[in-house]
Amino acid sequence: MAFTLTVNGRQHSLDVEPDTPLLWVLRDELGLKGTKFGCGAGLCGACTVHLNGQPARSCSTPVEMAEGAEITTIEGLSADGELHPLQKAWVEQGVPQCGYCQSGQIMTAAHLLANNPSPDREQIVTAMTGNLCRCGTYPRIVAAVESVAGGVGQYQPAGEDA
Amino acid sequence: MAMNRRDFLKVSTSASGGLLLALNLPGCASVQTGYEPETGEWKPNAWLELTRDNDIIFTLDRVEMGQGTYTGLTTLIAEELDVAPEAIRVEFAPVAPEYRNPLFGLQLTGGSTSVASSWQPLREAGASARLMLVMAAARVWRVEPGQCKTEGGYVRHPNGLDSMPYGKLVELADKEVIRGDVPLKPRSQWKYIGRQAGRLDAEAKSTGQAMYGIDVELPDMVYAVMTRSPRYGGLAVSFNRDQVRAMPGVLDAFITERGVAVVADRYWRARKAQEALAVEWDFSEAVGLSNPDVFKHYRQAAGDDPGEDERVDGDPEAVLEKAGTLVEAEYEQPYLAHATMEPMNATAWYRDGGMEVWAPTQAPDLGRIAAARHTDLSPDDVTIHTTFLGGGFGRRLTQDYIEEAALVAYRVKVPVKLIWSREEDTRHGFFRPAMLHRMAASLEDGQLTGWDHQIVGPQILDWYVRNAAPAQYPWAPKLLYGTLGRVGLMVEGIATPKDISAIEGAIGYPYAVPNVRVRHTHTDPGVPITWWRSVGYSHNGFAVETFMDELASQANEDPVSFRLKLLESEPRHRRVLERAAELAGWNQPVPEGRARGVALFKSFGTYVAQVVEASIEQGGIRVHKVTCSVDCGQVVNPRIVEDQMTGGIVFGLTAALNGEITLDGGEVQQSNFHDYRLLHMHQVPEMVVDIVDSEEPPTGVGEPGVPPVIPALGNALFALTGKRQRRLPLKA
Repeated sequence: MAFTLTVNGRQHSLDVEPDTPLLWVLRDELGLKGTKFGCGAGLCGACTVHLNGQPARSCSTPVEMAEGAEITTIEGLSADGELHPLQKAWVEQGVPQCGYCQSGQIMTAAHLLANNPSPDREQIVTAMTGNLCRCGTYPRIVAAVESVAGGVGQYQPAGEDA
Repeated sequence: MAMNRRDFLKVSTSASGGLLLALNLPGCASVQTGYEPETGEWKPNAWLELTRDNDIIFTLDRVEMGQGTYTGLTTLIAEELDVAPEAIRVEFAPVAPEYRNPLFGLQLTGGSTSVASSWQPLREAGASARLMLVMAAARVWRVEPGQCKTEGGYVRHPNGLDSMPYGKLVELADKEVIRGDVPLKPRSQWKYIGRQAGRLDAEAKSTGQAMYGIDVELPDMVYAVMTRSPRYGGLAVSFNRDQVRAMPGVLDAFITERGVAVVADRYWRARKAQEALAVEWDFSEAVGLSNPDVFKHYRQAAGDDPGEDERVDGDPEAVLEKAGTLVEAEYEQPYLAHATMEPMNATAWYRDGGMEVWAPTQAPDLGRIAAARHTDLSPDDVTIHTTFLGGGFGRRLTQDYIEEAALVAYRVKVPVKLIWSREEDTRHGFFRPAMLHRMAASLEDGQLTGWDHQIVGPQILDWYVRNAAPAQYPWAPKLLYGTLGRVGLMVEGIATPKDISAIEGAIGYPYAVPNVRVRHTHTDPGVPITWWRSVGYSHNGFAVETFMDELASQANEDPVSFRLKLLESEPRHRRVLERAAELAGWNQPVPEGRARGVALFKSFGTYVAQVVEASIEQGGIRVHKVTCSVDCGQVVNPRIVEDQMTGGIVFGLTAALNGEITLDGGEVQQSNFHDYRLLHMHQVPEMVVDIVDSEEPPTGVGEPGVPPVIPALGNALFALTGKRQRRLPLKA
């Protein structure tokens, strides 16, 4: 079936089965490999993209549901060729270990900040807790988001005490 | 680790006319293969190239799975070469014909040894390259080399005005001959080692640009999925071939040694065709165990076979027999999955009589054997390209996923990417073995006088030798692989180094007890196993440090002072324990409703003590805070040490709170992250990491953060509830 998708501001025409998850269309039809396959069931967040500015699990979003939406992936997070402030923070804080989940983490954080420029720690944790990281980079993720949110920006672990 | 430079370094001109230093870095200590290089044969496994265009390229034989190898090793070279670590480009070494023949000293990354084993040779390589550049410049300028300085990729003339970039000197430099030892910078002059610094791969991994195995793209590539026997060891007999082959996009469907393969033009079409599969299995050789059988099997074995003594001090049997107070306990630990975020996958292309494989692997050499296994190819016909790894943790030392991609590629003769689903990844893993520990100790007037630790379970090398033995004889016909594997099993520990995977951390029991016995009852229920972050230390840490806590309690002593008294001659153990206790406020009151527990464990040469503060809230365990003190010798990158400790704590807590693979009739019951649960951000405690300042040689950090946190949490729950848990995962 023919679809027109708008991804990172560009239109693409393609022919795939309507139930194909958006994830595989982005990766294999459009070559946008930054969005990752983790669980195929919306449980880990590695495949998070934005659909009309809302975070969506592309592994569980049939492509037919994404037609007509503005789709943003990690590759299109920053339109001007500069790194997005969150990406800069990720580099400065040295967040990634294996790095596999980080595209999804950054996309979730970007949505949070777009809607709440100054989240407190609890709001950050609440927004981010659906994104899994097996390497356990959580404290650095919190620090990186806080640094962009105008928070302390130093390495301070997550947790209700801190 | 004193090494003669001649043993590991060779200088030549690179293909592009640059300066090329070929190095031979020592292998991994913990993952011993037993297959030593033939004497006299010298095989480089790392290369440092300086080009005429001022590029500095380090080709690395270790893989980057998140532990920071990439950054740590580059820092060592950069320090001595007097360039910023960021100026060095890192490439992964392929396992390719150029580097082959004979296949030996297998290429593996594991055992937390990368920085430890490369500490000396990489600094010397950087220093050698720098010295040759300086000597070349001095010859041009007609000055003494000792008067020249280096900075930021330039050699500076003693007059302070002139300078030459390294690139201009590389052609001259490779003719310089270094006589005698190359001096290394004293610690006081280090600019990069020990400095807080970011990771070199952070940007690629924050922009979606880093290429993992799953991202490999080849022309006209097709996709494959594999349906494996639900029970380990089952074989596919038949399936509804015509129906599956008629499905949209399906190019082929066939029975293989690994299950039923479906190949399609798109991944999703392969998956949909897989859903329509109806396979008849032959389970006659399959593992049919259910979970209670595993521990029944272990208990039976423990009774029948006292085990082989691995350490005996004094006369523990006699002392325990006459014990004033005999304390006994039994600990059970389940199978655990690795759950790397990137599921298993590999891409293979068979053409012109050779096989090329792209894969996220910790063991490219084993990948070659796996790729050749079900083909007419020899391992020498296989080239492996390694990519970034979306987590390894030991899982990617086993090469079953490469075997599958290759056997499909061998048949379809076009590039094929085979991707496991998360469910397949969880169910068809090679697991951290389930283990049983029987402990006994004697107390006389509160003094610990005897210690007996019986470890019951398999050893990992048994599973590895079956696959790795042919590596020693790449010319052997594949029909003999099975025999070689069996011979390998028979001579394990005789012709090969002893496998200590089951007993590591237990034989190194550090406490001053006059009578100690550590023994291993070797028994294997047949469930597939492999290394798992911190390996044997992960289960021995729980047994030893929980039992120490039980003994402290039995002796009515504080768990910290009970341990310290037995560590008079173990200063590095003492120091981390004292520091962790002090930082955690061990002697201060605990907040209402919480309790603290402590554990101390050395693994991979690194000393770690952790204090956990926990409570039980709304029927669940809540971990509030973990305080960690670590002594890993000289620190190369403190941020990476800290990250590996906090990451190890999260990994250990995940196992302690959630980790359990269970079997029912041989089938793994877990499948995805809803029933094999990882720690979410809101469950992560506050973590404080204290790093001991040390000038001892560096030791590993990728794994040692894991073992102590598991018993420390259990000990905290005991302090909280008075009830001792001897089985993992822990319950509220």
